[in-house]
Amino acid sequence: MNAAPPGPAELQAAFLARGYVADDALATALRLVVALGKPLLLEGPAGVGKTEAAKTLAATLGTRLIRLQCYEGLDAQSALYEWNYARQLLHLRAAELGGLGGVTDEDLYSERFLMARPLLQAIREEQAPVLLIDEVDRADDAFEAFLLELLAEWQITVPELGTIEARTRPHVILTSNRSRELSDALRRRCLYHWTEYPSRAQELAIVHARLPGVNETLAQQVTNAVHALRALPLGKPPGVAETLDWAAALVSLHADHLDAPGIRATLGAVLKLREDQLLAAPTLQGLAAQAAAGRPPGA
Amino acid sequence: MSGLGAVPPDLAAQVSAFTARLRDRHGFLIGPGETADALRALGAVDVLARREVRGALRAVLSASPEQLRLFDLEFNAFFRVEGAAQPKLPPLLPETKTPGREEQTDAGQSPPPGPGQPPAPKPTPAPAPDDAPDPDEDAPDSQAPGQPLPGEETAPPDDAAVPSLRARLSPNAAPGQAVQAGGDDLPELLRAASALVRSLQLGRARRLKPQANRGPKLDARRTLRAAARTAGDATLLRWLGRPRRAPHFLLLIDGSRSMGADATLLLRFAQALHLRSRRVEVYAFSTGLTRLTPLLRRAPPGVPLTLPDLGDAWGGGTRIGENLLRVAREERAPVNRDTLILILSDGLDTGDPALVGRALRDLERRAGGVVWLSPLAASPNYRPVQRAVAAALPFLDALLPVAGVDDLHALPRRLRAARRA
Repeated sequence: MNAAPPGPAELQAAFLARGYVADDALATALRLVVALGKPLLLEGPAGVGKTEAAKTLAATLGTRLIRLQCYEGLDAQSALYEWNYARQLLHLRAAELGGLGGVTDEDLYSERFLMARPLLQAIREEQAPVLLIDEVDRADDAFEAFLLELLAEWQITVPELGTIEARTRPHVILTSNRSRELSDALRRRCLYHWTEYPSRAQELAIVHARLPGVNETLAQQVTNAVHALRALPLGKPPGVAETLDWAAALVSLHADHLDAPGIRATLGAVLKLREDQLLAAPTLQGLAAQAAAGRPPGA
Repeated sequence: MSGLGAVPPDLAAQVSAFTARLRDRHGFLIGPGETADALRALGAVDVLARREVRGALRAVLSASPEQLRLFDLEFNAFFRVEGAAQPKLPPLLPETKTPGREEQTDAGQSPPPGPGQPPAPKPTPAPAPDDAPDPDEDAPDSQAPGQPLPGEETAPPDDAAVPSLRARLSPNAAPGQAVQAGGDDLPELLRAASALVRSLQLGRARRLKPQANRGPKLDARRTLRAAARTAGDATLLRWLGRPRRAPHFLLLIDGSRSMGADATLLLRFAQALHLRSRRVEVYAFSTGLTRLTPLLRRAPPGVPLTLPDLGDAWGGGTRIGENLLRVAREERAPVNRDTLILILSDGLDTGDPALVGRALRDLERRAGGVVWLSPLAASPNYRPVQRAVAAALPFLDALLPVAGVDDLHALPRRLRAARRA
């Protein structure tokens, strides 16, 4: 085993101290990342804190977070390393003009001209970093295949330099929004955790952890409202990120409870599609009325 | 593997029995490596705390939301018996997967009931809560057969009486529950599938690939490599370009009773398309929804296509909108700009047509194209007045007839014409 992985309660407490409410299953999965040295694949709807989990893990372990944001068309070059061609050419010209002459191959293909991209950076770190491969479903199959090789071998071959072995194994976290089905091979290599929308109580705890000064009534009403919205057939159901944005928006308007004008002014923080806003209008009206009725008179 | 020495042998035996069970019964892709990982994981958690053990094993052994649900059921069945020595036998496979049992799973952890399509044999998805009347009402055998209600359909319950009832009512379902979609037209369908794959003209990929002639971007790496031959002078420029994208397909097949043989034809076409391009995703829907892709992947070509009982996704009534919406949202079916969505349905819907519109607006926004294939459209005086078709029409690239193999052959040509129009 590696250096003693943090206990379940410890890890959850450390996460909470950094404003992240991790449930038992996620805490176990993250501990296994450290203990087994296997990558963790986090899947779940958008805005439930997948990326944030990796960031918090890095903060908790006190290591660097190296992030590789995947996108359509991402290739091995931009993920691994690239030679700084412009600088190499400049070096050649300068050598010619200066009459130095003796530019050797080793000179030109040395670390000086190597631009390390996230994956190479990650394996060259002294202390095992947290490597976040974000939204891996956006990259294509070819990149996924390349990633498999890296995750299995932990070494990168630069033809001009030789093979670079990982000094330490990074703690790898992959996230996916399921916009594309990942290959079985990649899934097999990884631990798996499905991140779901938090329960009402958990979400309330998250709001309090993230926005320490928030009014209790407001936090509760916002959480309830978001849960009611998630029950609707929305095109883009609000995630935890939206809950926090919404609460923050209401706080910045000095609202201490949810009311119809406040909802109207801040609706864009929760529902990001016009159809969704129209669809949710009756529900929101009902919620505002409920909140108004539930409020003690004169408050 | 260093930690394995300390594992008590009976725990090791238990865990490997459990992994074998997941593998054999549910087709989990796990082997000795995963078993070893599971044991190492148990070394890292408190083995006496059931929640922790489950969390650890779940992280190691499952790999998708569908598998999570199966895992929870199997874990409960397997370890309750072993640990607490309860006399109750582990529930048999078909029982474990009825929807009612899902409440046993951990409330906070279980995935939503939607994005699941476990490998065969599949569970019966829960009927939609709002509009499905109590299934017991119309299930019993005593009800006079041969009277398919034209109006509301319900998801039939999964008991023994129903398959025969369904078989009697449905032209699609054979008495043995399995869906027989056999036919000897596979070679012809393969030709049609190849033509369709070839004919699709998509845009360019985002990824830059080296290309022979002049492209939009200079490939500095290869240019410099080539310059080494000419003493550092880059006389030969190398280029990068964006190749054409390979098409993906999403087939949504209406397996309801009214579709008759056309649905089985399209099933065979789906199989053919699947043999021609690996990027094919197939769903069948009737009152419920099932993902057929894994079943088709396993089906050997050349022998008549037989699918296991598809439950309420085949040979029942039609809820187009609801199921399309599930495909679009809960299943998160892989749809991007390279995807051509083919919906096969006659549009005779008993659900809410507004849902069809909403689902198609979603899909159309993400997809490269949406085509509705209707067997009814083959008749010369066809008008798209079926509720679902009418609701879908604004979001379709084309509404095309499909009544036989000839129509499938004509599909590429008609698609091109529709695109041009």
